[in-house]
Amino acid sequence: MPRITVRDWPPYSPTDQNRRDNVVMAARLMMNAALTAPNVGGLPMTEGEIVYGEEEQEAIARKMEELAYEREVWKHIFLYEAVMARQADALVLLGNTRAYSSPWDGECGLCAGRPDCSFVYENRNQKAGIIDTTDRRFDTLVPGPLCVMYAHQLGYNVGSALMVAVHLYVDARPFISIGLAAQKLGYCRDSAVVIGIAATARAKCEPSDPAPDYHLVNLDRAIDAIRSNVNQLGVRPATGKEYRAGDPAKKR
Amino acid sequence: MPLIDGKKFAQEGLLQVAQHCAQAAMHAPQLIGKTSVKIEIVADEELKDYFRLQDAANKLGARLSGETYKAAYDMGEPPVVLLIGANVTPIVEAPCRAACPAGIDVPRYIRLIGDGKYDQAAMVVREKVPFPSVCAYVCRAPCEKKCRRGTLRDRPIAIEALKRFAVDHAGKRQVRKSSVQPTGKRVAVIGSGPAGLTAAYYLRKICGHEVTVFEALSQPGGMMRVGIPAYRLPRKLLEREIEEVKGIGVEIKTDTRIDSLEDLFGRGYHAVLVAVGTHEGQKLPIPGADLDGVLVSMDFLREVNLGKDVKVGKKVLVLGGGDVAFDCARVARRLGAAEVHMACLEAKDKMPAAPEEIEQGQREGVLFHPSRTFTKIVGEAGHVTGVECPEVESFEFDEEGQARVRVKKGSEQIMKADTVIFAVGQRPAIPSGFGLTTGRRKNLDVDVDTLSAGREGVFAAGDVLKGTSSVIEAIASGRKAASSIDLYLGGLGIIDEVLAPPEEVPEVPFARQSTETPGVEPERPQMSLLPLDQALAGFEKVELGLTEEQALAETSRCLKCDQVGFDCGGCGFKTCREAVVNCQNRINETGGEPWGWLMKGPSCIWRAMELGISIDYAAAAAHTLNVESRVGMIPAMAFMRMGYMEGCTLVTVLPLGPCRERWYFSPGTGREDYRPAEMERRGVMLQYPPLWMRFTGPGRDLGRRGINVKDRWWDPPYTRLEIVEDDKWGNAVLDRDYSIFVAADEIRKKKKTRRLNLPRIKQILDDKKQKKQP
Repeated sequence: MPRITVRDWPPYSPTDQNRRDNVVMAARLMMNAALTAPNVGGLPMTEGEIVYGEEEQEAIARKMEELAYEREVWKHIFLYEAVMARQADALVLLGNTRAYSSPWDGECGLCAGRPDCSFVYENRNQKAGIIDTTDRRFDTLVPGPLCVMYAHQLGYNVGSALMVAVHLYVDARPFISIGLAAQKLGYCRDSAVVIGIAATARAKCEPSDPAPDYHLVNLDRAIDAIRSNVNQLGVRPATGKEYRAGDPAKKR
Repeated sequence: MPLIDGKKFAQEGLLQVAQHCAQAAMHAPQLIGKTSVKIEIVADEELKDYFRLQDAANKLGARLSGETYKAAYDMGEPPVVLLIGANVTPIVEAPCRAACPAGIDVPRYIRLIGDGKYDQAAMVVREKVPFPSVCAYVCRAPCEKKCRRGTLRDRPIAIEALKRFAVDHAGKRQVRKSSVQPTGKRVAVIGSGPAGLTAAYYLRKICGHEVTVFEALSQPGGMMRVGIPAYRLPRKLLEREIEEVKGIGVEIKTDTRIDSLEDLFGRGYHAVLVAVGTHEGQKLPIPGADLDGVLVSMDFLREVNLGKDVKVGKKVLVLGGGDVAFDCARVARRLGAAEVHMACLEAKDKMPAAPEEIEQGQREGVLFHPSRTFTKIVGEAGHVTGVECPEVESFEFDEEGQARVRVKKGSEQIMKADTVIFAVGQRPAIPSGFGLTTGRRKNLDVDVDTLSAGREGVFAAGDVLKGTSSVIEAIASGRKAASSIDLYLGGLGIIDEVLAPPEEVPEVPFARQSTETPGVEPERPQMSLLPLDQALAGFEKVELGLTEEQALAETSRCLKCDQVGFDCGGCGFKTCREAVVNCQNRINETGGEPWGWLMKGPSCIWRAMELGISIDYAAAAAHTLNVESRVGMIPAMAFMRMGYMEGCTLVTVLPLGPCRERWYFSPGTGREDYRPAEMERRGVMLQYPPLWMRFTGPGRDLGRRGINVKDRWWDPPYTRLEIVEDDKWGNAVLDRDYSIFVAADEIRKKKKTRRLNLPRIKQILDDKKQKKQP
C-alpha cells in the first residue's frame, strides 16, 4: 500500500509537501466557489490565480516588505502580513477585471460622482465609453477611482472562497496587502484591485493572533534565532575528550 | 387533520434561517475591520410596505423590481427578507462623535482648527447645538472619555478645550431670522433652560412654528443661569447666546409661572413642551435639618447667581460629592468662607464630580472628607453648629435607589460648621395642574422614542426626564423633542442645519506649518488658570483657555479615527482625508438625503468589499441550509428610502424562500413587458430600461449625462443603438427618482418614522436638471 505521510516539519520536506498539496487542492475548490458567488449583472469579471511554492511566495512577501516602507500608515500591517504570506501553504488571489476598465453603469451613485459612473469616466482617458487601460502610471497604491459596485462584488467572491475554506477546515484569511503586492508583480494582471487569501493547514493559525512586532518575532525568525544562539543553549562542540570515549554529560 | 401544517411550518423555519444568516454575516472575516454591518429582517406585514411602494412608484411612472417576492407573497409563500448593509463611506464613526449626545462632529472641528479655520470649527459645533459657548465652557465632555488616543495610547485629546478655543476665536456671528415659511402653529415651551431653549430654537428657525417660552424666574437660562456659577460660565456669553435665540423670533416671557396646561391650550397653543428642569434641592430627613444655617444647594446657588446678597458662615460644610456640591463649595469660598469642607458617601477616587472640578476645588482650598455619612445636624439656640458624620465602611443602593450604609463602629464625630449646605440631589417641581404622570423620583414618565408625556400634544425634555444630567444631554433631548413636536404638528421632523461652508483640503495643514516639530510628539496641554487670589476674589472665569500654539499642537495629536487611514487611492482621492472631506461636503449639500439612484457615495472600496464578504457569508449560510436566496440591490434602495437601515449607504436585500429566477418571466407578474424582444417588437424605449439593456452599449450616453467627452463619438456611424431621445434620459431618471422618494415618504408618514425632506430633495433634483441643460 502506498503511504501518504503528512508532517509540517521540516518545511518543504516531502512530508510537508504532501500537506501543502492538500491545501492547494482546497485552494482550487475555493476558486470555484469564488467564481460562482452572487454576481452583479451576471457578467464575467472575476480573475483568480493560485500561488504556492517557496520562491513564488517569497517574491510576494518581499514585494509587500518593499511596499511597507512607502508609507507609515500601512507599514506595520504590510510587514506583519508579509510573514503570513511566507508562512502560508498557498495564496489564492482574486481580482475584479472590470472595476477599473468598465464601470457597472447602473446609476448607483456609490462613487464620488453623479449616479452615472461619470466620476470613473472623467478620471480616465476614454473614447466611445471605452477606457484606455494602457496607461499604467499612477502614484497611489490603487489606481482609483474604481467602480465601487465591482469592488463590492469582489467581496462576494472572496466571501465564497473563504466559506469553502471553512467547510474544508482550512485556515484562510483575506489580505489587502498580499493582493496589492501580487498584482504589482503581475499576478491577476487585468485587475486593478486584488485580494489575496492566505490558506494554511497547520496546528496553529498564526494570522489569527500575531505577536506584537510580528515581522521580528515569528516562528521562522524564532527558529533562526535559536540556530544562531545554539551555543548559548549548551549545545556546543565537545572539546577535550572525544565523545566516543565517554558521555561528556556524565560527571565523572 | 395533520398535527402540523408542513408548508406553514417550513415558512416559520425561514425566520430561523434568517437568524442563522444574520449571525454568519456578523461574524464574517474582515479586511480592515472598519465596517460595522447592520442587519434588519422584514417579513409578513412589514413586507407589504415594499409592495405598496412598488405599486405607488409604478403608478408614478417608475418601475421597481421585486416582482418575484410579490408573486411569491401572492402565492402564499411569503419570503423573509434580510436587509444587510453598512455605512461604506470614507467617514468612519469616530468614538468621540458617537459619544456626544448631540452628535457634534468632533473630528471635523478638530480638523478645521488644525487648518486655522476657527470660524468654521465653531459653525460645526453650532450645527448641532444652539449654545456653542455654553457647551464649550461647561460640557462634561463624554467624547473625551471615549477618545481612542486615551483608550489606546496615552491621554485623550483635550476636546473640550479645543472646542472652547474655536468658540473663543471665532469671529462675530451673523444672527439670521428664520427664513422658513411660518406654519401658523403655536408651541409653548415651559422652562428656558438648555433643553427648552434648544427645542424653541429649532422649532422656530428650522420648522417655522411660533414659539413662546415661559420662564418662572426673572431671567432666562434655567440651570445655565441659576445653577452654574459665573466663574465656570461667563454671563456675557450666556446673554449673547440667549439673545441669538430671541433674535430668530422666539419670544421669552420671564416671571411667568405656568400652573395649568389647559390654560395654555386654551390660549391657542397647539403643542406644549415641559422642560422645567430639576430646581428643587433635597434635604436628607435627619434630625436638625431645619436648623438655621442649613441651606439647600439649588436655593443657595439660585440666590447667588441671581445677584442676591447671600451670607455664609466662616466654616461651611457641604454634604455631597457631585458637581453641584463642588459648585456650592467653591461659591462659598468666594462668598468669604474661611474654611469649606465637603463630606460625601463615596471614596475620594469614586466621587461623582468631574475630575477637573475636584482638582480645582482642591486648589481653592476645599477640604474633602470622603466616605462619610450624615446622621444628625446639631445646633445651639436654633442655629447649626455641626454635623455628626460617622465613617462609612461600605454602602450600596437598593432597588428603590435608597442608600444602604454600613458605618464603622465608634467613628462618630461631630464636624463643626456654622453653615451646612445639602447637595444630595435635585428633583423636578412639576405643578399638579399639569396632570402628568410622574415616577418615583418625581420625574416625568414619557415615551422614550417621541418624548410624548402621555397627553395629546404634550412633550417633555431635559432633566425633568431622568433627573439632573449635563447641559449637553439636555440639549440633545431638546433636539429630540423639537423633532417630535414638529412631526406632531404635521412637519417633517427634520431639524438638521448646515452652517459650515464646504471644506477644502490644504496642501499642508496650518497646524503643521506653524507648530509641529518633526519627530516630537506634543503632550496634552494644561489649561492655564486664573491666579488663586484673583479667582477667590470674585466670579471671574477660572479656566483661561488654550493659547493658539497649544491648540494647534493639540490638533496634531488627534488619531483621525473618522478616516480609514489607508490612503490607498482606490476611491479616486489621493488621501483618506480628501475622501472624507468630499463625502462630508456632499452630505451637507443634500442634507444627508440619498443622492444616487440606488445608494449614496463616495465609498471606500475596502469597506464596500468587506460588506460584500459579509453578505456572501449570509447567502452561503442560507445555501448550506438548503434555502434559496439571491442578492438584490434595487429593492434595497426602496427599503432604505422607506426608512429601513438608517445610517447605511450600501444595502442589499437577501430574500430567503421562494425568490426563484423563473418568477421573472412568469406571466402575470408584469415583468414580461421588459423583455428585450418584447420592447423591440413594440418599438418602445422604456423610461427605465432593465439592466441588460444598458450593457448593450457601454457608455453610450455619456454626453447626455453631462460627461465631458471631447469627440462626438456617438454620432453615426458609431451609433448602434439610439435608445433615448435627446435630453430626456437624465431628466426622466430624476423624475423617476423623485416619484420613488414621494411614495417612500408616504409610507414613512404612515409608520410615523423620520420623514424625508421632500422639498430639499426636489430642489436637489431640479438643480441637477438645470445643470443638464447645455
